[in-house]
Amino acid sequence: MLEEILNSIVEMDEEAVEKARKYLDEGGEPQKLLEACRDAMGEIGARFEKGEYFLSELILGGEIFRQIMDFTLPKLKSGAAKKIGKMVLGTVKEDVHNIGKDIFKVFAEASGFEVVDLGVDTPEEKFVEAVKEHKPDIVGMSCLITAGVTSMKKTVDKLKEAGLRDSVKIIIGGGRVDETVKEFTGADAWSDDAAKGVRLCKQLIGLEG
Amino acid sequence: MACCVKELAEKRMARLMAAMNLEEPDRVPLVGVGGDVIPAYSGLTMEEYYFDTEKMVKAIEKFIKDFPCDWPFAALIAGLDGRVFNVAFSEYPDLSINLTFITGPMHKVLGDKYYRYPGMEISVDSSPQFIGGTFMEADEYDKLIADPVKFIAETVLPRACRNLENPRQAMATMMRLGREIDNFNALMGQIVGKMVENGYPAMAVGGAYAPLDLIGDFLRGVENVLLDLRRYPEKVKAATEALVEPITNYALAHKSMGANLAFIPLHLNEYLSPKLYKEFYWPTLKEIIERLVKEGFKVMVFFEGKHDPHLETILELPKGWGIAYFEKTDVVKAKEVLKGHTCVMGGLPMSLIVGGTPEQIDEHVKNLLEKVKPGGGFILAPGVSTAPRETPAENIKALAEAVEKYG
Ligand code: B12
Repeated sequence: MLEEILNSIVEMDEEAVEKARKYLDEGGEPQKLLEACRDAMGEIGARFEKGEYFLSELILGGEIFRQIMDFTLPKLKSGAAKKIGKMVLGTVKEDVHNIGKDIFKVFAEASGFEVVDLGVDTPEEKFVEAVKEHKPDIVGMSCLITAGVTSMKKTVDKLKEAGLRDSVKIIIGGGRVDETVKEFTGADAWSDDAAKGVRLCKQLIGLEG
Repeated sequence: MACCVKELAEKRMARLMAAMNLEEPDRVPLVGVGGDVIPAYSGLTMEEYYFDTEKMVKAIEKFIKDFPCDWPFAALIAGLDGRVFNVAFSEYPDLSINLTFITGPMHKVLGDKYYRYPGMEISVDSSPQFIGGTFMEADEYDKLIADPVKFIAETVLPRACRNLENPRQAMATMMRLGREIDNFNALMGQIVGKMVENGYPAMAVGGAYAPLDLIGDFLRGVENVLLDLRRYPEKVKAATEALVEPITNYALAHKSMGANLAFIPLHLNEYLSPKLYKEFYWPTLKEIIERLVKEGFKVMVFFEGKHDPHLETILELPKGWGIAYFEKTDVVKAKEVLKGHTCVMGGLPMSLIVGGTPEQIDEHVKNLLEKVKPGGGFILAPGVSTAPRETPAENIKALAEAVEKYG
């Protein structure tokens, strides 16, 4: 059954949601279902990196995953879903594109990160406050417009001013980032690919990708 | 000076035309940057720039004077994409062509939920934002298919625009919108005048849109339309087909303003696998391009994001159809595939212009042009033409100098 659910998700079959519901109704273990879904998302990400899947598959896969999680997560015993790390994530100031950030978020969550989502058009101060409040391992910034490049630099600078820069790793992502932007902003890593981004995040906190 | 200005414009035009016609120009043409850097260079807030036409015209003039290029394409962008309005008015060509850009004042008049403008919904220093939204439900495809113009004009726009909610409001709003159209025309006239005065070709540019993007950007929202593709494939396909006619009509209407170039920016291309692209996106886009080419237009398609997986489909268009403008696709590879068939444009990552040094820019242009200049048919342009306000002036200058050297 779990195998079948996993395959349905990977093959973009929305029936997966009903199959998962049935699995739980018949006494299946939420923890195992969660793991199967995570594996499915891992496989979708791998296919995306290989160029076999495209963004529309990431979005549909993410949508199926989200729907299953809606009824699976509340059934998990607290603490059962072990987190590998915490991340504060947002689309940067001036930028209202949310799709890439949301895809990355689903993949980060699926691989075990706890993600605090700050939304879009996120002021620099909001990142700083969120770091103070949530003490994350990683700060993730999504940037789709060139004006956002400066916003990212300013955010990194503000984190420095607040004395918080060394307590976190910073990863930037989204269509407008590359090596030059990483250097310019002073981030630790960059990726314009959600699956690779998650691998990098694991590396940043000392787990192998 | 008048003689030289005219000559300069002719020279620049000849350069662009040669590249477009797949010939080798006297030097590789350069498309300039635009965007927030223009108001910033004149010390204006975004609000001043987008709501005070006099200031806008002055700022544009100053910018195109100080940063010469062959075609300041992006400097002409005076508002945000209003394609849904083009379609709603497609039966009235004289009106439709004026709605490609929704300016700040037009947005104020419409009270729409598509855009956010500085000094209104966002700070005076933020650049205008298109946020889109969902203004059509999944079960309304049949209505869109049956009569797309009626459905958009009578059902979608009243939902999307607060000031079109009832017929009484709509009457007043449309009168006010007409006034803003006049202002817009006057503005465009002034900008084109300044271009001519400064030795730039006065190229009139029209526009069209990919049907699936119209549905994604203005009707269903990007994420919804991608899910619809899986859930109601036949309906989505029929809807894209139904939109071909009104989109072609509004695109052809630009003939009346002397335009023979149509600009089509693409949005969903990067999202789709080759299979989905060929099924839902490309057929109707291709039909629109072919019809425009048949009517004497050249078409400039902006392939946003990474278009690599779909490159070969461009070869299905008639040779010399126009310009393929690439954002993140490697233009060296693109030129390899398209040479002798399609003019290729792009090659300058905006991150380099914003974050690089003049030396790095020189180096990049040198290396790139070595590869793509031979044989012609290439236009050098920033992959994203809108530059942020902090873009260093010396980098924009370095770019023009590098093109003089290596072009
Ligand atoms: C769809 C789209 C829109 C939609 C957004 C829908 C939404 N709710 O997000 C709409 C139509 C609303 C829109 C609006 C605008 N857009 Co827009 N848009 C695009 C488009 C076509 C695709 C963006 C996208 O969603 N890509 C798909 C996602 C999934 O990719 P991604 O974000 O790169 O994410 C992937 C990875 O990067 C990674 N990732 C993402 N975030 C993160 C974060 C971390 C930490 C990590 C590790 C990884 C990661 O995971 C994802 C999956 O692999 C791009 C062009 C392009 N192809 O980039 C233009 C583009 C981004 N838009 C642009 C512009 C100018 C605008 C507008 C200003 C108006 C306009 N002219 O259209 C407005 C408002 C923008 C603003 N102020 O924010 C420009 C930006 C130019 C610039 N200055 O840099 C672009 C580049 C188009 C262009 N070439 O001109 N847009």
